[in-house]
Amino acid sequence: MSTFIKTNFDLCTGCGICQLACSMAIVDADAWDVEHENKSKVPDSDFCTTCFTHGYNPRLARLKIINKRENLYHKPVVCNHCENAYCMNVCPAKAYERDKNGYVLINAKKCVRCGICVEYCPENLIYIDPITKKAVKCDMCNGDPTCVKACPTGAIELAVRVNKNKDDDSGEHV
Amino acid sequence: MSNLSTNMTTTDVGTTTTDVGMTTTDVGTTTTDVGTTTTDVSITTTDVGMTTTDVSMTTIDANIINPAKESAKSKKSRIEPMANLTSSYMKQFLFIDLSNGQIERVPVPELLYDDYIGGKGFGARILYDRLAPGIDALGSDNLLMFMTGPLTGTIAPAMRGCVVTKSPLTGIFLDSYFGGSFSPEIKYAGYDGIIITGRAEKPSWIWIDNEIVEIRSATGLWGMDSLKTNHAIKEELGDDTVKIATIGQAGENGVLFSLICCEYNRQAGRGGAGAVMGSKNLKAVAVRGTRSVKISDYQAFEKAHQKALVELEKSAEVEALRIAGTASAVEYANETGLLPNRNYKNGTFAKASDLADTGQRKHLWLGASACMGCPIRCSKMGAVRLGKYKGIVTDIVEYESAALMGSNLDISDVRAVAHLVKLCDLFGMDSMSTGGVIGFAMEACENGLLKNYSIPESVDLSFGSVKGAEYIIRSIANQDNKLGKLLAKGVKKAAQALGGNAEDFAMHTKGLETPGWGPRGASGMGLAYMTTDRGGCHQRGFPISYEVAGVPWKGKILDPLSPCDKADMVASLQNYSAGTDTLVKCDFGSFGISAATYAEMVSAATGRKISPEIITETGERIWNLVRLFNLREGIDSSKDTLPPRFVREALPDGPASGHSITEKDMLYMKQEYYRVRGWSKDGIPLHDTLKRLRIRHEQNNENESGAA
Repeated sequence: MSTFIKTNFDLCTGCGICQLACSMAIVDADAWDVEHENKSKVPDSDFCTTCFTHGYNPRLARLKIINKRENLYHKPVVCNHCENAYCMNVCPAKAYERDKNGYVLINAKKCVRCGICVEYCPENLIYIDPITKKAVKCDMCNGDPTCVKACPTGAIELAVRVNKNKDDDSGEHV
Repeated sequence: MSNLSTNMTTTDVGTTTTDVGMTTTDVGTTTTDVGTTTTDVSITTTDVGMTTTDVSMTTIDANIINPAKESAKSKKSRIEPMANLTSSYMKQFLFIDLSNGQIERVPVPELLYDDYIGGKGFGARILYDRLAPGIDALGSDNLLMFMTGPLTGTIAPAMRGCVVTKSPLTGIFLDSYFGGSFSPEIKYAGYDGIIITGRAEKPSWIWIDNEIVEIRSATGLWGMDSLKTNHAIKEELGDDTVKIATIGQAGENGVLFSLICCEYNRQAGRGGAGAVMGSKNLKAVAVRGTRSVKISDYQAFEKAHQKALVELEKSAEVEALRIAGTASAVEYANETGLLPNRNYKNGTFAKASDLADTGQRKHLWLGASACMGCPIRCSKMGAVRLGKYKGIVTDIVEYESAALMGSNLDISDVRAVAHLVKLCDLFGMDSMSTGGVIGFAMEACENGLLKNYSIPESVDLSFGSVKGAEYIIRSIANQDNKLGKLLAKGVKKAAQALGGNAEDFAMHTKGLETPGWGPRGASGMGLAYMTTDRGGCHQRGFPISYEVAGVPWKGKILDPLSPCDKADMVASLQNYSAGTDTLVKCDFGSFGISAATYAEMVSAATGRKISPEIITETGERIWNLVRLFNLREGIDSSKDTLPPRFVREALPDGPASGHSITEKDMLYMKQEYYRVRGWSKDGIPLHDTLKRLRIRHEQNNENESGAA
C-alpha cells in the first residue's frame, strides 16, 4: 500500500499552517553538523536549541501554497513522489532512492550539490538547503506527514494510491 | 534561500557583546537627538548590559547595508554567547531615514522587551521618546513604524502586525492593526519592526530582502491603485511571493483617513497611516525573508500552542466567525438597536439581513481565506457574478463596512456595498471613516449645507444613493473637486469648515469617525469611545459583549443603559487589549485564547517569564504612556466626549428606544474612569500611578507629571 498527499484547493484557506509546521519539523541533522563544526558555536543562529530544526518560516517548508486572484483561490502544491520522478532521473550522483513505501528520497551522503534536480522539478519542490547546499525535499515524514496533521481544514490529506499502474491516482482517503 | 548563509554572519553581529557605556543603542541614532533626558531606550542597554550590535554599523553605502563588510569588522570583537539566546524575537529594528537614504539596523534594547513586550508597546514607547511634541503628522519628522510581536511569524494562532505613528486625522497616537502575511515576513527578514522617518525627494518604495535594503524609485507606480501597485512590484522583482504593504491614490493625495494595504485584503485601516506613508513619498514596502523565527523552549511552546487550538475550538464566538466572519454581527446589532442608520439617527435597519451573512452568502461568498497561521479563517472570499458590478473579486464585507457603508447610508444591496468597499480598498482609504464621512455629507446635503460645492445635477447625494456614495469616494480619493477636498479631512474638520449646525451631526471622537456600533443602548461602549487612546474606536474594549449580551462583569449583571459600574470594566478591557496588542494578537483569536495560554506561548517562545498579570500590567503601562503622549499633543479632558447626537438626541428605535447618554452620564462615567485609572479629575495620570507602573516620562512638564 502506497500513500500520498492529496490536495484540495477548495478547502485551502492559505493559512500556511502546514508550511509553518513543516518548516519547524524538518530535522536536518546533516546541516546541524555542518554548522556546528564550521562555526563551533552554540546553535543560536540557525537552529532552535531545543528541537534542532530551523524554526518557523513557510519559505523553508517543503510544500507550497499558490495564491491566485487576490486570495480567491489557494492551491497547495506538494511533492507527488512521482512514479516517473524527473528529479531522480536527472541526478548524476544516484543520490535519489525510492524507499519501500514508494517515497522518493534523497540520500544526503551521495548528493554532490549540483542542483540539477532543482532545475527539473516542474513544481519547484526541490530546495537547496541554505547551510549544506545539498538538495532537500519532502520525505513524507516517514509516512505520517506533519503538514497533513497540522492542516485545520483537510485541504491536504493522506490518501492511498490504488491501481497505480492504471494511471488512476485519485485514491481513497485513509 | 541562498541568503541564509549570509544571515549566519549577520547573526554573529547580533550576538556581539559590546562594552558598557555605549549610548548608541538609542533607537534612531541617526536622527537629531530629541528628548535625550527621558529616552527610555538609551537608559536601557547600559542597565542590563545586553548583547548588542556593533555600534559602528552605520551604513556603508547610502542605500544598501552590506552584511559581509559589517561582519568582517565586528568579528574581531566577537565573544561566544554566554547562554542560550534562542528566542522568537529577531533582536533588531530596521531604521530607515528617507530624507538622506540612511539605513540602519538597530538592536532592540532589553528594557523595551522587559517593559513593553512588542507591537503596540514598542510603538508607543518609541513614539513617546522620539517624537517632538506638536510636529506635523504629515511632516518629515513623523515616524511610521511597522511593528511585530514575539509570536508573530510563529505557529501561534491569530497573530498580526501593527502600524504605529502620529495620526494626521486625530493629531494623536495611532496604532492600526493588520493581518495577512506582511508582518510575519518582517520577522522572517530578520526584524522585530521597521521604523521609517524622513521624506524621500521623489516617489519611492523600499525593498527589503533579508539584510539587503534598497530604496527604489516609485515614479512609475505613483498614481496606481493598491492592487496594481502590488502586482507591478511583484513583476519588477520577478517574484510573486514577496509581501507588500502599499498605499493607493488616497494616501498619495493626503486623504487624512487613507490606509495601508497589506497583502491582500488586509489593511492598517484606521487613522490615516496611509497619508503618513504618502507624505513620506513612500508608495510601498516590499519584504522577502528567509530567516526563521525560533523558539526558546519548543516542547513548552507546542504544549501551549495545542492548548490555544483547543480553546479556539471551544469558543462559540470563534465558531461563529469561522462560519460567517463578522457579517453575522449585522443582525445582532440590528436586534439590539446598535446598528447605525442614516448617520446614526436610528439604531435599526429594516433590510439588515440583506447586508448580513444571509445576503453575503447568497450573492458573494465562494470560500474561506485565512491570515498567515490562523485556523479561524474569518475571511470569506467571493465575487460579484452578475449585475452591475459583475466581475469584482471581493473579500467578506466586514461588519464595520456593512454598517457604515451599508445601513448607515440606507443602502441594502450588498453587491453595491461590496463595490463601494472595494473602491475604498483600491484607492486605499478606510471604509469605516469613508462610510462615516459619506453619511455626514448626505446629512449635510439634506440640511442644505453643500450648496456651494457645485455638485453635478446628475449626482444624487441623498441617503440610499449608491451613485452618490461612489461620487463622494472618487472625489475624496482623486481630490479633483471642492467636495472631495472638504471631506478628505474627515468629519471633524469638514464640520468645522462647513459651519452651521454641521458639528451637531459630525460623528467622531477626537477626530476619528465613530465605528458602526451606536452606543446609546450601551453606556459602557460610550465610555469606551470617550476614552480610547486613538479616538472613536471599538477595538480597545468592547463592553457590548458584557452589558448588552448580559454577561456578568466580575459577578454582576450590568444594566446597559446605566452609567454605573462601567469604568472598571472599560479600563480593564482596555488594559488587557493593550497588553495583548503587544503580542500582536488578533481580537478574534482573543475570543478563544485565554490570558494564561497567551502568557505560556510568549514565555516558551521568548524564554522570558510572562504571566497574565504581566500582560495586563504592561497594557496599563502602555495605556498611561499613550495618555501622556496624547496630553502632550494637546488633548484634554473635554475631548473625552461623545458626538452630540448620542448625547442630545434620544434613540428613536430598538430595545433602548428613548435613551441617550446624557451630559450627566458622561461626566459621571468619566470621573469614575479617571479614578479607576489613577488619573486626576482632569484626566492626567497621577505621579503615584506612573511610579507604580514604572513609566519614565518628562518630569519637567507639569502638565504630565501628575501635578494635580
